[in-house]
Amino acid sequence: MTEGAVGGAAVRVRGLWKRFGQQVAVAGVDLDLPAGRFIGLVGPNGAGKTTTLSMVTGLLRPDQGTVEVVGHDVWRDPVEVKARIGVLPEGLRLFDRLSGRELLAYTGRLRGLPGAEVDKRATQLLDVLDLAGAQHKLVVDYSTGMRKKIGLAAALLHNPEVLFLDEPFEGVDPVSAQTIRGVLERYTASGATVVFSSHVMELVESLCDWVAVMAAGRIRAHGPLAEVRGEAPSLQHAFLELVGAHTRDTGSALDWLGGGAR
Amino acid sequence: MSSAAGTGTGTGTERAAAAGASVTSVVVRLKLSLLRNGLRQSGGRRAAYVASTVLVLLFAAFHLLGLIALRGNAHAASVTVLLVAVLALGWAVMPLFFPSGDETLDPTRLVMLPLRPRPLVRALLVASLVGIGPLFSLCLLVGSVIAVARGAAAYAVSVVAVPLGLLVCLALARAVAAANIRLLTSRKGRDLAVLSGLVIAIGAQLVNFAAQRLESAGLGQLDPAANVLSWVPPASVVGAVDAVSEGSYGVGAARLALSAVALAGLLFLWSRTLTRLMTSPDSSTLPAAEPARDRTRSAGLGRILPAGRTGTIMERSLRYVWRDPKTKAAWVTSLAIGLIVPVFNALQGTGSIYFACFAAGMLGIQTYNQFGQDTSAFWMVAMTISSPRDAYVELRGRALAMLVITLPYATLVTVLTTAMLDGWPALPEVLGLSFALLGAMLATGAWSSARFPYSIPQQGYKNVAPGQAGLAWISIFGGMVASALLCVPVIALTIWLNVTAGGDDWTWLLLPLGTAYGAGITLLGLRLAASRTATRLPEILSAVSRG
Repeated sequence: MTEGAVGGAAVRVRGLWKRFGQQVAVAGVDLDLPAGRFIGLVGPNGAGKTTTLSMVTGLLRPDQGTVEVVGHDVWRDPVEVKARIGVLPEGLRLFDRLSGRELLAYTGRLRGLPGAEVDKRATQLLDVLDLAGAQHKLVVDYSTGMRKKIGLAAALLHNPEVLFLDEPFEGVDPVSAQTIRGVLERYTASGATVVFSSHVMELVESLCDWVAVMAAGRIRAHGPLAEVRGEAPSLQHAFLELVGAHTRDTGSALDWLGGGAR
Repeated sequence: MSSAAGTGTGTGTERAAAAGASVTSVVVRLKLSLLRNGLRQSGGRRAAYVASTVLVLLFAAFHLLGLIALRGNAHAASVTVLLVAVLALGWAVMPLFFPSGDETLDPTRLVMLPLRPRPLVRALLVASLVGIGPLFSLCLLVGSVIAVARGAAAYAVSVVAVPLGLLVCLALARAVAAANIRLLTSRKGRDLAVLSGLVIAIGAQLVNFAAQRLESAGLGQLDPAANVLSWVPPASVVGAVDAVSEGSYGVGAARLALSAVALAGLLFLWSRTLTRLMTSPDSSTLPAAEPARDRTRSAGLGRILPAGRTGTIMERSLRYVWRDPKTKAAWVTSLAIGLIVPVFNALQGTGSIYFACFAAGMLGIQTYNQFGQDTSAFWMVAMTISSPRDAYVELRGRALAMLVITLPYATLVTVLTTAMLDGWPALPEVLGLSFALLGAMLATGAWSSARFPYSIPQQGYKNVAPGQAGLAWISIFGGMVASALLCVPVIALTIWLNVTAGGDDWTWLLLPLGTAYGAGITLLGLRLAASRTATRLPEILSAVSRG
């Protein structure tokens, strides 16, 4: 597999391990993610995607291993790293008793941006993400799609070099998904890196130019999309082959369902 | 009817009757399984359930004995009528505060099933007879009736009166719950439920106050209220038994009839609400109207606060005090107790001016587990803290937000207590002590927030996530003991100045000294906490993300 040039890695992970009690969530991940790409981290539920992303972004302490983001160690040099990354985690709340606009104002100022600049960017982001109508509503009353969008806005506010998105399209309606796509495409066009996790192959295939396939806590394959897909007709097929999930014979078991065994 | 008509109609009616009976038995069994499965979930839950059952049964038995002992007392009727009225009030209010307590209570879960309102109402009513609450109510009703009934006629009436009273209570609870189910399942309703603890606490205070009044003034005070209530269902069932005991059969029959009419009315209302609920779309699928929020207020708040990170953090903290139900409940409790203890003690003449420090102490508790109050949204804070300096600014912002409320409030309570006890010469030293205590609480609070964070579940009335109770104890009680120890120098100085001859002339010194000591210790505590926070961000995040 070809890797980007050594200087061109946005994220470099070496020997990353994480155990939760008896269960090994991440079992020795080595990975170089090239800068300036739209990168998809794919894998079935429970593959360790969220755990990996949490460790890469400094939200979870790894048992072993090192993570470098744009050349700085996440754990030894957080000042350099945290200013350069934006994060949209999965399963963690936002300060949802603030309105959408208040949340952006809070996040931006906490990041040390000047107040006027924060308000200007917040207005633009709310407009582009189609949240202007709900900007004074509390985030706790937002729908899932709206929450993902306001989370994305909060992650983009300080114009990070690398954006980490954990399942940004999970539970999002097609219209919001299209909006998010548009913003992300625009953002990568400026040379920034997007790393996002998903288990929807069609989405990854249509959005990403570089993918890493994860299963059972390990990286099974990584590289440019075409390379990972190889001879398979689609990423879905390649993926199923990689993780070893063969089509189960459902024919005889559910015969009452009609349709007949194929 | 079935015999007269053809077999077709007959089987139809029979089938309908059988269906009604089976719906009832299915719902009752559903309720029993829900109860059993709830208990199966964990040993702790089972223990809690068994313990609360035993407690309730003991309480009920106590009441029963007490009521039987009341038999023959001149005011027995007044007491029992009031008791049943309060019981009914409890049933009416209960579903508003504990909507999740009974899953069969939520008819919207049955919406997809082909059920008619009439069998459903019957089934739900019978199902709601299962549980500790109805058992407790039954004990209370039986006791009340025993307390007032005299003569065979009265006992005969009781046989009808007790079940009738119980059914009215249950129907009332169900009707209220059904009418408010939309509210209860919405976010606002869940927020409301969090505040239920407060209502109960305040209610307990009122009951306590009323009991004290009664002790001094005698039970005779109840009679006028009881005279009215004995006509109000379901208390009128006890009124009926009482009337029959005294030979006024007409009054007794009228009171009993009133309760019966009330039961019918409640059942009708309930069944109508159920029908509407189950045939109209759920409001949660309709887009909510955009509430008009006053922006001027928040903008004003932002203008007063300092610029930059500190002001941002303060603004967020203060908004959460108002908007987050858990935080709000905690604050209101602290504010209320901090005021009630010194002021009520002063009112009753048992107070000491030093009790005013209670306000500072109670409010100081709010500084414990600051990150737990953020819930898993703490990640947003964690992403912006990359050095002990950042953590220091974060903690200082939170402490300042706290001081915006606590400093004026502690001062107010102290001045108020002083005024009521007329102890003006002691004001400076008590203020000094209060501020020193507040400083110590802020310092230990910040430190234990970093060292012993734990999750606060957002739903329900629990304030600690399962498995973290130990942490919470260490955090709060360890912190309070540590704060008291930290205050020892100031306390020692106060005592010394008060016992040495001529020391009284210098007690005013305690105000500047105590304030300076509090400020100094806060700064020190924040520094220590900041370096801990900065190195423990992932650990804090995982500790507070459990709720």
